[in-house]
Amino acid sequence: MAEELMEGLENHTAFTIHLFGLDIPIAESCVVTWIIMAVVVLLSIIFTHGLKKVPTGRQCIIEGIVGWLDKLFLDILGEKGKKYLSFLETLIIYIAFANLMGLFGFVPPTKDINVTAALAGIAIIFVQLAFIIEKGPLKWLKSFLNPINVLDLITRPLSLCMRLFGNVLGAFVVMELIKLAFTTVIGVPAIGVPVIFSAYFDIFDGLLQAYIFVFLTTLYMTEAMEEEEHGGKKLKKAKKAATSRR
Amino acid sequence: MGIIALGAAVAVLTGIGAGIGIGIATAKATESIARQPEAKGDIRTSLIIGCALAEATAVYGFVIALLIIIMLGSK
Repeated sequence: MAEELMEGLENHTAFTIHLFGLDIPIAESCVVTWIIMAVVVLLSIIFTHGLKKVPTGRQCIIEGIVGWLDKLFLDILGEKGKKYLSFLETLIIYIAFANLMGLFGFVPPTKDINVTAALAGIAIIFVQLAFIIEKGPLKWLKSFLNPINVLDLITRPLSLCMRLFGNVLGAFVVMELIKLAFTTVIGVPAIGVPVIFSAYFDIFDGLLQAYIFVFLTTLYMTEAMEEEEHGGKKLKKAKKAATSRR
Repeated sequence: MGIIALGAAVAVLTGIGAGIGIGIATAKATESIARQPEAKGDIRTSLIIGCALAEATAVYGFVIALLIIIMLGSK
């Protein structure tokens, strides 16, 4: 039982490419990522071909999803965050698909710590780029005079990476334990029962973690983009509170 | 193996803090929604962020416990 669990925790190599005498190992997470890419590209083609001014059928679905995501990020970022939307939405779609891959019998790529580390790295580089674009490189360099900002550069990607990895791995381990418990302890093959747990661990937790990862990236971005003047911020907050109360 | 398992168990004790933290946050959120139902949306988003940040400590404990078992237990 313990060996089976340990086996599940390892990152497997799907196949090895022999190129110019070099052996390049291709990890399983990479292959699953290719599958996700193919699925997402296919879905994008299906949903966006033949767009009309008055949406019907499938266009309604995709407009609903994109509109919801747009609103979600614009509420946090404000109007000037519009040019960063495509990156944030791509990130949330990829992570959501990656976490849901466990449902279809694939190993979720986010179970590999290298994938989450790369995602956290991309996110934090993007936050720094947004800072430079919004305020200029001089102010960016100046921000490092504050040691807290230097520390943030290390702790933020680390916590983003570990949170996603730990949650996906935790869900994976619990699901494996449930399956093992049914077959070895009780003696009946688990049919139907894991579905209940899968609904929580794979669907709910997976989507929530995707949301939280991108949400925190967006929060870091707002922090990097916001103005130093407190007067303007307070006014904006008061305005927002007034509109939400209406 | 016994002492390694004990070490992993101690690492997972971080879950206590996360449980208490999320419990307090949820209690306060329900209270404030009851007092001000119109601010439901704002309260929910800040509750989710708070829960995610509090939960992180439990996840760190879990990751470290797993690392202890994998790194030390396989020797």
